[in-house]
Amino acid sequence: MSIVQTKGITKSYDGFMANKNISFQVDEGEIKAIVGENGAGKTTLMNIIYGLLEPDEGEILIRDKPVAFKSPADAIAHGIGMVHQHFKLVPSLTVCENVLLGIEETRNVKLGKKTLKTPFIDYKKETRRVQEIIDKYGFNLSADTRVRNLSVGAQQKVEILKMLYRDVDIIILDEPTSVLTPQEIRSLFETMRWMKEHGKTILFITHKLKEVMDVSDSVVVIKDGEIVGDMPKAETDEVDIARRMVGRDVLLEVEKSRKKRTEDVLIYEVENLSTVSDRGVEVVKNVSFGVRRGEILGVAGVEGNGQTELLYLLMGLMRATRGRVRFKGKNITNRWPKDIRRLGIGIIPEDRYLHGACKELTIADNIIAGYHNTPELCSWGFLKKKSIEERRDSLIEKFDVRISTKEGLVDSLSGGNTQKLIVAREFHADPDLLIASQPSRGIDVGSIEYMHQSLLDFAARGKAVLLISSELSEVMSLSDRIIVMFRGEIIGELDAAKASREEVGLLMAGIEQKGSASLHG
Amino acid sequence: MDRDGRIMKVLNVLLPVFLALLFGAVFIAIAGENPLTTYATLVQRSLFDFRGLMQTLHFAAPLILTGLAIGISFKAGLFNLGVEACLLMSGLFVAVLGFRLGHLPSPVLIPLLLGAGILVGILTIIIPALLKAFFNVSELVVTLLMNYAVILLVMYLATYVFRDPSRGYISTHVISSNAIFSRLFGTRLTLFFFVALAVFVLAFVIYKYMRLGYEMNALGKNLQFSEAVGINVRWKIVTIMSISGALGGLAGAGWMMSHAYAYTPWFSTNPGLGWEGLLISLLGSESPLGILIAAIFYGALKYGGYTIARYTSVPSEIIGVIQAFLILFLSIQFIRRHRLLDRFKGWFKTDKSHTEEGA
Repeated sequence: MSIVQTKGITKSYDGFMANKNISFQVDEGEIKAIVGENGAGKTTLMNIIYGLLEPDEGEILIRDKPVAFKSPADAIAHGIGMVHQHFKLVPSLTVCENVLLGIEETRNVKLGKKTLKTPFIDYKKETRRVQEIIDKYGFNLSADTRVRNLSVGAQQKVEILKMLYRDVDIIILDEPTSVLTPQEIRSLFETMRWMKEHGKTILFITHKLKEVMDVSDSVVVIKDGEIVGDMPKAETDEVDIARRMVGRDVLLEVEKSRKKRTEDVLIYEVENLSTVSDRGVEVVKNVSFGVRRGEILGVAGVEGNGQTELLYLLMGLMRATRGRVRFKGKNITNRWPKDIRRLGIGIIPEDRYLHGACKELTIADNIIAGYHNTPELCSWGFLKKKSIEERRDSLIEKFDVRISTKEGLVDSLSGGNTQKLIVAREFHADPDLLIASQPSRGIDVGSIEYMHQSLLDFAARGKAVLLISSELSEVMSLSDRIIVMFRGEIIGELDAAKASREEVGLLMAGIEQKGSASLHG
Repeated sequence: MDRDGRIMKVLNVLLPVFLALLFGAVFIAIAGENPLTTYATLVQRSLFDFRGLMQTLHFAAPLILTGLAIGISFKAGLFNLGVEACLLMSGLFVAVLGFRLGHLPSPVLIPLLLGAGILVGILTIIIPALLKAFFNVSELVVTLLMNYAVILLVMYLATYVFRDPSRGYISTHVISSNAIFSRLFGTRLTLFFFVALAVFVLAFVIYKYMRLGYEMNALGKNLQFSEAVGINVRWKIVTIMSISGALGGLAGAGWMMSHAYAYTPWFSTNPGLGWEGLLISLLGSESPLGILIAAIFYGALKYGGYTIARYTSVPSEIIGVIQAFLILFLSIQFIRRHRLLDRFKGWFKTDKSHTEEGA
């Protein structure tokens, strides 16, 4: 029996069609994966089903009855709940208080036959009821723990709990695994299966194909706002889904020749680097590592464990409170971004549209950014327009950046092509060290393949790469060595050829193992 | 830019002008004149009459400079609202120096005074510039409020320190005739207009061909990006604010030497040449060419105020009415273009915004 059905859902923003005529149905008690690349329209579709957006055309049927949601409250009343990618929890409140926020149980006073509501909260009753649900689904939580003391994985369970308490039958999980360690992901999948056994229906949004094959019963593939595949899991595989997502065959994991090409020359050395955030918290603590020529050093870790701050330190956007950074033997601690570039360090920043490219500038302006001061492009304060245009044209061609017009703004480029533009700019300067942070985030599978190959080729030319990524498979497949960050510290270093996902995963969760966790430097 | 974008841009400027003139017409009609003939008189006298045109250009000269001063800062994403302050300070000090150094010959004195005006302009704006660059203090607030402090300071200096006691009202001594730009072709036009024109050409070249223009643009579009790719943001903020202040100072010096000749409380007229520069910069879409055209249009309007009063029964204050409407209609698109509402909202941002995120 179908519990949710959409018929011809269409939604457009300013002429951009985010969803085109989407019709699919979800059977009661199944786990349905919705896959597609970033920007394919998955989240838009889910937001429509959850009542956050209203469709331009089409309708939604819940148990074969048409519904029109004006807000998430309507959706919840119809038994649909959603867990967002970014949690909406109050850290200082307990699990129970978070779950009941907005629907608190009040103490009632009996006056004869009438029951009167009072504005006082009945904590005992609340705690008992929340704990009942926790136990029912085997969440291994305590209702009176404060949320700030919980791990990310446990916080996610609180989010799910919020929905279960509201007695929903259908739960939408938006990219739930992006912030979890491999162990936490496994635990989440167990929870999902357990919920399924209790008769819940789950819509699971993801762009990771492995997860689809792991946990779902059926798959809907969305590309450019349209459904390009809707099948039971048994009838498909990862390669097939990837092909549908991209529209062509893709290499899912680049083959890395494991032969030793690393030269034993340290080119980049970071020693005891530390810094504090604006709020006075030490976010990077005593980080030390070295990168050799021809080597890709991967920095793994769950997001938010100091990788961003480390990148800012290395980019010259943040000041180190302690420690040293040396490049080719030269001390470059706390130098300006300009100097860092001039010395031969290329940077692919984490936030593409904040530090990597400027949407409102033209392609040419973006290509010369940071290098507009070099004699090839500028003399006596005047920009050489011809050289700039030549460079733009040659890089667009060499790096296969897909554009509609050369004169256009970067705003008109897709995420993948913007990333290619940044890569083109940084590679053109021929740096000796490339710092790449989350290089494949938010870009299509085809561009990811390209990105990975570029990094491998770059290292093969005797250059060094520092790869910061929270995508474990990316770090595992590209790096020669892996260091893992946890709460601002480097918790362990592994040889990528020998390390298993489990080992890295444990380190990501902050569990140090004897033997393997030898600190470098 | 595509064709639609260009049309929109032109419309964005012409529509407020048209609406302001339309509302102005209502008031002209109330005054008992035919709006069309009144506007025709204005255009005829200000633009299609040689002496009138020279008057228009004379009025436009300081406006070109203040317009560029504000336009340049806006281009770089900085909101220098202190151009009026620079202009007043420069006006006062040039008046004082123009009197005290009156013995110097014109070819020495005039460039010297222009240079002094530029210097005073830079010194006036340097405090907000440094506060912005090193402590990220909002330049919008500091420069805006600074105007009122400067108005009082200048008033004090003119009333008690540099006052010419022989005059019956608050005024400094009249500057030496050596410090005065001589009139050209027997009209109001002076060399000062050509100084302003030269600055316009310079600004045009900087915007279009120079590294500084590129960096200003990048800074204005995305500060974090500019910093990440290695533009020294602090230094650029100080540079650009200084250029802006320098142009404000130059405008003050030139206006003193070509029109006012002594510092009086009404030196900058009402609402003030610096504020009119803001209007002109908006009207000219912050591009040098647009600012030039807008300044001349505005000069025509200003001079037109006098001619209307002379040739029709409409009072010259009608120009003030049109100005007010122009400001009103332009500010609507100004707020939109610079997302000022977001900026103000940002100041009051609470943790609420987090709960909206990802929704």
